[in-house]
Amino acid sequence: MSKNNYFSSSVGKKQLMGITGLALCGFLFAHVSGNFLLFVGAKEYNMYSHALISNPFLVLAELGLVLFILIHMVQAFVLTRMNKEARPVKYAIKAKGEKATSLVSTYMWQQGVIILVFIALHLWTFKYGEVIYAEYDGVQVRDLFGLVVQVFQSPIYLAGYLLALLVLGLHLSHGFQSTFKTMGFNHPKYEPKLKLMGHSFAAYVALGFMVQPVYIYLFH
Amino acid sequence: MSENSKNMTIHLKLWKQDGPKSKGAFVSHTVKDVSPDMSFLELIDVVNSEFIKKDKRPVEFDHDCREGICGTCSMVINGEAHGPQKATTTCQLHMRSFCDGDTITVEPFRAKTFRVVRDLVVDRSSFDRIIQKGGFVSVNTGNAQDANNIPISKPDSDRSFSAAACIGCGACVAACKNASASLFVAAKITHLSLLPQGQLEHRQRALNMVDQMDKEGFGACTNTGACSLACPKEISLDSIALMNREYLKSSVKER
Amino acid sequence: MLDAKIPNGPIKSKWEQHRFNCKRVNPANRRKYDILVVGTGLAGASAAASLAEMGYKVKSFCIQDSARRAHSIAAQGGINAAKNYPNDGDSVWNLFYDTVKGGDYRSRESNVYRLSEVSNNIIDQCVAQGVPFAREYGGMLDNRSFGGAQVSRTFYAKGQTGQQLLIGAYQALSRQIGKGNVEMFHRREMLDLVTVDGVARGITTRNLVNGEIESHSGHAVLLCTGGYGNVFYLSTNAMNSNATAAYRCTKKGAYFANPCYTQIHPTCIPVSGEYQSKLTLMSESLRNDGRIWVPKNKGDNRPPLEIPEEERDYYLERIYPSFGNLVPRDVASRQAKFRVDEGRGVGKTGIAVYLDFSDAIARLGKKAVSAKYSNLFEMYEKITGEDPYTVPMKIYPAVHYTMGGLWVDYNLQSTVPGLHVLGEANFSDHGANRLGASALMQGLADGYFVIPYTLGNYIGSSDLPEISTDHEAFKLSRKEVEESLSKLLNIKGEKLVDEYHRDLGAIMWERVGMSRNEEGLKKAITEISALREDFWKNVKISGEGTHLNAELEKAARVADFLELGELMARDALERKESCGGHFREEHQSQDNEAKRDDENFCHVAAWEYTGSKNNPSWSRHTEKLDFESVKLVTRSYK
Repeated sequence: MSKNNYFSSSVGKKQLMGITGLALCGFLFAHVSGNFLLFVGAKEYNMYSHALISNPFLVLAELGLVLFILIHMVQAFVLTRMNKEARPVKYAIKAKGEKATSLVSTYMWQQGVIILVFIALHLWTFKYGEVIYAEYDGVQVRDLFGLVVQVFQSPIYLAGYLLALLVLGLHLSHGFQSTFKTMGFNHPKYEPKLKLMGHSFAAYVALGFMVQPVYIYLFH
Repeated sequence: MSENSKNMTIHLKLWKQDGPKSKGAFVSHTVKDVSPDMSFLELIDVVNSEFIKKDKRPVEFDHDCREGICGTCSMVINGEAHGPQKATTTCQLHMRSFCDGDTITVEPFRAKTFRVVRDLVVDRSSFDRIIQKGGFVSVNTGNAQDANNIPISKPDSDRSFSAAACIGCGACVAACKNASASLFVAAKITHLSLLPQGQLEHRQRALNMVDQMDKEGFGACTNTGACSLACPKEISLDSIALMNREYLKSSVKER
Repeated sequence: MLDAKIPNGPIKSKWEQHRFNCKRVNPANRRKYDILVVGTGLAGASAAASLAEMGYKVKSFCIQDSARRAHSIAAQGGINAAKNYPNDGDSVWNLFYDTVKGGDYRSRESNVYRLSEVSNNIIDQCVAQGVPFAREYGGMLDNRSFGGAQVSRTFYAKGQTGQQLLIGAYQALSRQIGKGNVEMFHRREMLDLVTVDGVARGITTRNLVNGEIESHSGHAVLLCTGGYGNVFYLSTNAMNSNATAAYRCTKKGAYFANPCYTQIHPTCIPVSGEYQSKLTLMSESLRNDGRIWVPKNKGDNRPPLEIPEEERDYYLERIYPSFGNLVPRDVASRQAKFRVDEGRGVGKTGIAVYLDFSDAIARLGKKAVSAKYSNLFEMYEKITGEDPYTVPMKIYPAVHYTMGGLWVDYNLQSTVPGLHVLGEANFSDHGANRLGASALMQGLADGYFVIPYTLGNYIGSSDLPEISTDHEAFKLSRKEVEESLSKLLNIKGEKLVDEYHRDLGAIMWERVGMSRNEEGLKKAITEISALREDFWKNVKISGEGTHLNAELEKAARVADFLELGELMARDALERKESCGGHFREEHQSQDNEAKRDDENFCHVAAWEYTGSKNNPSWSRHTEKLDFESVKLVTRSYK
């Protein structure tokens, strides 16, 4: 009986990647849902973000997120390299027709890179971007609403943002349901439902994030 | 009736490579008067006899039963393992699936572990080594009790059979963008772990077989499903999930 | 007269008594013995695994790239056993009786009884290994009736029983390889048997990847290399199935028994053209609902649906009103050939007959027909491109099993001490005709439950000093093999190996096929020997012997087929009777049924090779067959 090398095994790595991915999905869900306050108004949005920022546990959550992203990224890197090495000579012709691999699942790591760049840009713009203040009921809060409005005046920025979100949506549409398989959940009866759930989730996150800047661009 | 019963002209691009360390290249060859009733391997037979008659060396390829069950034939045809038809091995692929004037590119199964032996022949011994690590029930000849002593539910037995139908051809590896052997390994794990006879050592089996799969240098599974589409026996992707579950549980419980 | 070393005593206790009498090898000593097992089909894989489990050091050889691909994998129907699970009165005796009768009283009673006796252990063993046999909803094993048997004794795994059983044996073998008890040699072809003082002590192999000629020394050699059906060029055998290993043993003193017994299966997919490389069998269950016919008029090449009912000849129903389309394999096959020879064959080539399901579809509905035969119909459509629901299937007989093989005694030992022969490669259990679902049974019986005992007896009672591969006998063998290969390569003639093989196949099929006569057999002997002479002058092989070279492999095999084919014709010529798969036109009853001659031919014919290197000749020996338990009767299907 060989030693159990869970974390260095291909299955272990995939499961770690899937679990961290799923955790990040949870974050995305909360993030997109909270952000709908944009439609309610500047005050509500800013108060909500203020509550989050001033929460002492935020740092902990942020550290967790960073950790998840790092694990997800490192595993992706290691696995991708392993996968590339497994086929040193490429095929001259790619499969077409019935036996072709779907494009979304083929280009997962490329999507990951785009998303990573997007996250960096996103944090640099908003979290570490220009600090404007607003005051509500005597409480001084960061006017993130204002910042959002300001940033999304640029159609180029908007377009890039939407593109990145499209990539995120595609990434999720494969990643979400794939994680369940990687973790060992499968059942022919629930398989189509799971697939639907994965696509719906991806659509909710991606479209949810997309309508917000579009709304800002068109109406503010 | 066959859709096109007229004989065809087919342009072939065939991979030739003298040995594992040599550099390979495609050679082009046109075959005239190809009957649509001909199997793909019979076409290669014809090409080879034309080559030999012209004192050119024939293309080596693996083949044996030519009825889709031994798993020996191993070609990637126009980028597809075993060619365009689903649930079909190369030997059961017939020329009526192609059109007059088609150019067909034929390559070996490509993966680091599937070293090219010569031309279209590859070395799939890694599959054997994976089975040797746990793809069995440890029962010596003579140990067995009466065959009907342990009833097995029909659905379980049928599912086990569906996984056991794997012919070990390697099309899953050839089709996977990561050259992953997950479907092959999972099929064996599924076959045995769904049966009471295979349950007793199911944990060691999952751990050891996955371990060997990794050592051989296959890629990881991205659940793209390309393996299952290429599989001549249509082994379901579900088996990979089952393998992952067995592996996770075994990693937690087995020490 | 050959001595089969059949133990004394009543048939029911022969095997038990013999096992008791067998010498045994101390478990601690077994690892000192190297056993060479050639072939990894059901017989080879099961023997190698079982012997390794017992403690012997085993070396296993196969020509395929993996042990799992041996041709046993292609068997579809099932495996017989006398379990009597369906409670229909089956028993070991019943299975034994049916097998002897099915073999047309040309098999060895004691061997067949042992085969029936261990049949039940095989099923137990396979289930324990995880073979997923078909089951009923209650969780118990399902059985079906097969090949016209009166009881349901056939265990099956969909249409892939051979595959599942082989994978079971392969897994057991893999386990022993993993433990280091078996050393596995893939892509190795045995090209010679090495004997020292007349005892089998090793083999010479060719590494098919790099062409190296290698020697392996051992204390016993187990030959499990299958049958020789490919002598016919077109057969249902795999492309690489060949007789070389077995045939070369005959040149070292092993006798070849009953070479003329070949089984022809009536429901195969017909040849579609010159390029045809092999034939595909479809389960004979199709004849349960399909009706076989040809047009009444010669040369009627209208499409089948345009031929009106009254112009069709349902010839089996006409000739055999009581059995109709369900007559035994040999009868159905022969009748199809007669129709084609009359010029009433159908299809593009005129070498086929119709198997029509339109009446069954009208009677039962398409759904019911599909439930029974959908996988066969799909397979047919995949290969022919025609839909059997709308157009009648075209079928034609094809060679698919050979009952003959190397002669072995009760211990499965050939006439060369130390050379044991298992499975289809030997001759012992099926007589002149094999019953459906019995091939798998025999392969596994030999490997799992016979050889482990009888090999111990051989080793325990023989003095077998260590012999290294530097011994003169090995050197000489390597030299001979190398010389014969380079001789082949240096002919550099004009005609391809496949062309010779095709020509040989045509002679065999025409003259040594389903129906044989003296004139044809004599012609065959002349034609084959002329073809063989031409082969050695004019064959064209490309490439060298130092790399993977399929043409060279084929050439060496065809060279042996060219001798074996002649031997088959000679055996058929000498056997002046009709029995089972051997039908001599001179020996038939008034209504064209096979007529046995029990007085003169109730024996095994075993041929000793007496020729020189390139001038084969054989002499015929016999083993008398005594039937103490079964009474000889004549088959009738009218």
